[in-house]
Amino acid sequence: MTDPRTRDALMEQAAGAWRPRRRDGGVSSLPAWHDLDEGGRVEAYDAACLARRLEAALDSEGLSTTARAVLARLQG
Amino acid sequence: MIDLDLHLPALAAGDRQAFAAWLAGAERPLRDGLRPFAATVDVEAVLQETLLRAWQLAPKVRPDGRPNSLLRFALRAGHNLAVSEARRARRVAPTLDGEALERRLEALAALRHGSPEPDPLLRRLIERCRAALPQKPRLALEARLEAAGGEPDPAIAARLGQRLNTFLQNFTRARRLLAECLARQGVELGLTTGAAGAAEQETP
Repeated sequence: MTDPRTRDALMEQAAGAWRPRRRDGGVSSLPAWHDLDEGGRVEAYDAACLARRLEAALDSEGLSTTARAVLARLQG
Repeated sequence: MIDLDLHLPALAAGDRQAFAAWLAGAERPLRDGLRPFAATVDVEAVLQETLLRAWQLAPKVRPDGRPNSLLRFALRAGHNLAVSEARRARRVAPTLDGEALERRLEALAALRHGSPEPDPLLRRLIERCRAALPQKPRLALEARLEAAGGEPDPAIAARLGQRLNTFLQNFTRARRLLAECLARQGVELGLTTGAAGAAEQETP
């Protein structure tokens, strides 16, 4: 079983918007997400929902870090 | 309900600013739509891939007389992508029969998810709570905001001169303190409630 501090760290990483690129340019899943148990994955999802709302509320265009990451990918 | 198809003509012309405006309104229903997959696929990755496909395929989407054609298309694409990812990883994906799935996607597209326009009152409250954070959690929060999803956490931590775990602990603390501060001011940024209540309280 993963210790609580490691689990929290994995959860916090998985709740972030950064994702690696696949070789074909697609969006890959985060290794930290795979290291979480099912409960941790759902917690990461909920934390991401909350974080994106805060980010969008703070952004002048109403964009979250997810939206910013996607727009950056369009630039190459 | 906000019809995000108002951006379709500009999207078809490859206007990235229009795509940004569409993203501001579409992200939340799309993320909500992937909730049943939260334990089986990395929703963040699936969502970003779905949004990229929406951009690529927007010029081919024709309005069908109902609102949010592109959003409905993206909801279906996101669902299919999540099912496909779950199968690829040999995980059991939640399944809905065709009719139930259609009803669910229609309902998500029709839900009012709040205005995509920024709420200045909510922003002010968040800024106030952010300013009240202890220094290290505040720096962690701000660094991740600045990175805007374009930089992995180890790189952000290194930029701040922190170990990864320290950075993540500071970020966790910032998130918790921010939520508590906002809750004290009547803002519940939970998964179902909006900022409207707080905005009303703030309005004289």
